[in-house]
Amino acid sequence: MSVRKSATASVRRVASLASTTARPTTERERERRRIAVLCLPFFALAIVAGFVPLAMLVRISFAEDTIWMEGWSLEAWEALATTPAYRRVAWNTLWFVGLATGVSVALGVAVAHALEKYDLPAERVVVAAVSFPIALPGIVVAYLITVLLGNQGVVTNAIATVTGASAFDLASATAITGLFLGYVYSLLPRATMVLRGTYAEVNAQAEEAARTLGASRWETFYHVTLPEIRPGIAAAAILTFRSGLAIFGTVLILQSHKVITLQIHNEISVGSYAPDVAAAIGLVYVVFIVAFTFVGLRFVDDDAVEV
Amino acid sequence: MTGDASPRADGGSTATGNSDAASTTRPDGGSVTASQNRRWSRSGRALSTLLGRPIVAGVVAVVTAFLTIPVLVAFVSSFAESGSGVLPTGFVTFDHWRKVLGFGDYGVRQNAIPGLTYSLLIATGGMVLNVLIGVPIAYALARYDFYARDWINTFAILPLVPGLILGIAFIQTYPEHGRSSLGLLAGYCLLKSPYMVLTVQSSFQSMDLVRLEESARSLGASWPRTVLTVIVPQARRGIVAGAIITWTLAAAEFNFTHKVASGSPDPFAMFLYRNIATNASYLQSAAAVSVYFLIVVAAIVVLQLLGKRGFSTAHQ
Repeated sequence: MSVRKSATASVRRVASLASTTARPTTERERERRRIAVLCLPFFALAIVAGFVPLAMLVRISFAEDTIWMEGWSLEAWEALATTPAYRRVAWNTLWFVGLATGVSVALGVAVAHALEKYDLPAERVVVAAVSFPIALPGIVVAYLITVLLGNQGVVTNAIATVTGASAFDLASATAITGLFLGYVYSLLPRATMVLRGTYAEVNAQAEEAARTLGASRWETFYHVTLPEIRPGIAAAAILTFRSGLAIFGTVLILQSHKVITLQIHNEISVGSYAPDVAAAIGLVYVVFIVAFTFVGLRFVDDDAVEV
Repeated sequence: MTGDASPRADGGSTATGNSDAASTTRPDGGSVTASQNRRWSRSGRALSTLLGRPIVAGVVAVVTAFLTIPVLVAFVSSFAESGSGVLPTGFVTFDHWRKVLGFGDYGVRQNAIPGLTYSLLIATGGMVLNVLIGVPIAYALARYDFYARDWINTFAILPLVPGLILGIAFIQTYPEHGRSSLGLLAGYCLLKSPYMVLTVQSSFQSMDLVRLEESARSLGASWPRTVLTVIVPQARRGIVAGAIITWTLAAAEFNFTHKVASGSPDPFAMFLYRNIATNASYLQSAAAVSVYFLIVVAAIVVLQLLGKRGFSTAHQ
């Protein structure tokens, strides 16, 4: 069959599918129409508010004149490919977010484990403490880090009082460690949420059996619990890493590490206005997130996914 | 009995250690394990059995403190006169709250109430739009099995475009309407829709949808009527919970707002930003942040009344 013929056949098939969906005669076609009607509002919004702006971003990244968005040039992409500074930003982002994800997921496992298995004295407090920060935007998290570690911070001043050093020297909110704690502050609750869902489905009988047969707690965890929660850990890591890549408000205020969101922001700031470069970075960033998510989720049970 | 006894085989075991030892040192049970697999150490005295719980509990305590202390300190110090020193001093004053909300004569700072109201209205609009787009697709995904269902599912429950990028793209694509309230509303709706879809979906998944639908249909109801008057009311808890979550998150959405907001009236996220980043005192920022804390706490209380565990999309 020639290419033209097969293309015509595909077009015809799509057309007939569309016409039967619009005017269904069988129950199956009616069901298809229902599905289409139910999905339509979401996709209408996704196209208007999501896909069209993304397509516009592609256009901007190739624009020669960035004020009127006219002409075509590869300048932005060339700059992106050849400037070492951009590679450094990418590397900065990946290791920083990766490390924050690792720490958050590890702590999340501990918290979810304790909430599920132990009789904690203040379980409701822990649950509230872990779920509250999910609602906080990055700028508030940045402020909370300065409350802990800033010049007037609680921890800073406590240490200063004990050691006699000046609080100004001890303040680490705007150091990279402060930013790291800010990332963990935002990411840990998300990781814990996913892991709590996984833990609720762990087979406690298998653990009890292992304990009765003489396994220590660590052996039980490592050989019995861990294999069961592994999909949850993977899902938590994927979602946490994604959320970590999107953090912007925290970095904007603390400014101690050049990650990709801050770089995009700088590209469109007054003084270094380069929307084409910003658009190109943004596209690389979106493509990376989408590819990462879809590749990652192929290895994970879909039910473990929560935002 | 065991070939490789744990290194910490000292007598002093904790209460938990004792109870475990009691359950595992039965003469036959223990020896069977040991002969089958020599790698198992004697559980009652293993290092992890003695120290595991205290260590994990300690980690949880540190995490809880790390997450709660700054929130509490910020809230408390918003009523303090001085924030220097380890703990805030000089209670109780409402100066910072008044200053932040723009009451009284405090120079050029304008009244924050219009901005707050505006923001909350837009968040409400985004929430309503989210119910309209989120509930149908959640129902389609929970009830039917169709081509590319998994892909559409992933697409609907994961925010694929970060707010910062969406904001930049938005104002370039719609130069006239991008900065308007409508632009903010559409952006909030799209950015927060995953929370709505997930919450409603988990609500639908706990119902026997096929049976409900078939019963209603066999009694003579049309399909639209079945969906609107039988199925959707059954999921109202999930819908309300999703609405509260999307509303609260949209009320303080910053990354997108920062790029799109035009300035007047100032959305709530920009009000927070102004009070945190630019020439505001430490205690004034505390008051501004506390305004949002109050909103979140109210939302969580309502969510818990609805039977949710705080900001979780999971169905209980």
